[in-house]
Amino acid sequence: MAADVPPAVWADSGRRLLLVAQQTLLEALRLRLAALFVVLGLALVLLAHWLREFNFGAAELKFVADFGLGAIGLLGTLLAALATAQLFFSDLECGFAACVLTKAVRRWEFLGGRLVGVMALLALFVAGLGLVLGVLIAMRETQLGGTFVPLPVLLQACALVWLKVTLVAAMTLLVCSYAGSALFATWAGLLLAAIGHLRAFAGRTDWLGWLRFWPDLGLFDVDPLLGSGRELSGGELLALGGYWLVFTILLTALAAYVFKHREI
Amino acid sequence: MSGSHEWAVELDAFGKSYASGWTQPRSWAVADLSLRLAPGQVLGLCGPNGSGKSTTLKALAGLVAPTHGRVYIFGSTAGSGPARAHVGYLPESVRFPVRQTGRELLRYCAGLAAVPARQIGERVDAALKWAGLVPAADCRLETYSKGMRQRLGLAQAIVHEPSVILLDEPASGLDPEGRLALVALIRDLARQGRTVVLSSHLLVQAEYLCDRIALLGNGRLLAEGTPAELLGADRVAPAESSPLEKLYLEKVRGC
Repeated sequence: MAADVPPAVWADSGRRLLLVAQQTLLEALRLRLAALFVVLGLALVLLAHWLREFNFGAAELKFVADFGLGAIGLLGTLLAALATAQLFFSDLECGFAACVLTKAVRRWEFLGGRLVGVMALLALFVAGLGLVLGVLIAMRETQLGGTFVPLPVLLQACALVWLKVTLVAAMTLLVCSYAGSALFATWAGLLLAAIGHLRAFAGRTDWLGWLRFWPDLGLFDVDPLLGSGRELSGGELLALGGYWLVFTILLTALAAYVFKHREI
Repeated sequence: MSGSHEWAVELDAFGKSYASGWTQPRSWAVADLSLRLAPGQVLGLCGPNGSGKSTTLKALAGLVAPTHGRVYIFGSTAGSGPARAHVGYLPESVRFPVRQTGRELLRYCAGLAAVPARQIGERVDAALKWAGLVPAADCRLETYSKGMRQRLGLAQAIVHEPSVILLDEPASGLDPEGRLALVALIRDLARQGRTVVLSSHLLVQAEYLCDRIALLGNGRLLAEGTPAELLGADRVAPAESSPLEKLYLEKVRGC
């Protein structure tokens, strides 16, 4: 029973989980893949600035924010799936995971640490590119003399993007827990992310009703936020955060259960 | 259910089978293997490829679950928390993250092995010194030779001071010099009173290093005992290296 476990045991678990997370982040930052995605993201965010003329009638800066956040979200989704799968399987295939998992670390701590490490990578990715986008918007707003994309809205939009891509990482981790290769886990993770965008179809036909049990990634879309220019209320943010937390914990717990019974 | 605490390692009718497809019967990697090893002994698992050496070591490490029988480390079921506290494991052909330094890797392993935070630095330094890696401790692993990486593998297996050390083909792919350095380290572990279970294709090395040898074939135990028991009157005292190896080392070290 959880209540019977001494606090020191939870503290040790937390320490080991953070250690794995720290190691994962270090490995992730050394991945060429992460560097490639940062360069691509920067290019796309800067491209938004040059493409602002083609705004299809929308307010110029809203177009820039929409395009930039869309690019961050798309690349973040790809990075979440690729980095999660690559970091998970690199240790497993080279035998290092076997060294680690014979030590005191529990499998759920290892898996949780991997996820937290990838989440930290994604936080750096979204925050870094969000900062560049924010600077671009602020510079243009200074030229135009007005505020078109309020800072709180931009910050909340970045937070929504992060929540969405970290859920994709949790989905990919679930696949990793039983998959045999990084390639399969990446594609399956991206497929699950795509399914997460199909929630709107859940009510249309009976046979798609099962989509209700899968996380709705559409909830984290930034378009309504940017379109209205209105920040989300504390209650709305709390509800979204709670939704994210429940599904992240559920997906990770399921992955930990599968991984616990996996032979290495 | 638990095993006897008097044995460091205890395999009781251990068997492991794998599914070979929907229609094929399960194939047994190891079948009905019973072995006991007293603390401080060195056991060599010898046998051809596919004889079940690695599967047995993985079962002792708690990485695979027995299909049949029981596996214990100091009386605790292999893979359980108490058993893992006793175990250090070096898999075959392990590759570590190459962009880390040896010290970083050992700190990570020590942290995960429940070494108290205040003792990590001291244990890592001791393990590096023991493995002869102090000069390269802060170099990235991509600069390490195969022999150095294998010694680092040994260092990560002992950094938390386990009493049972499991080594899967530790000398695989090493040149004679690297192999001799590794043999010296394993002998040192035995001198420290640790229990070592290693698998090896190098029978001369196994005979030289091990107190007991288990010969496996097709997942079954073919023979087990001390080298003297197995060889009887035919036994010639084993040497650390063959005459050709001695000549090789003399020439290589001289050039």
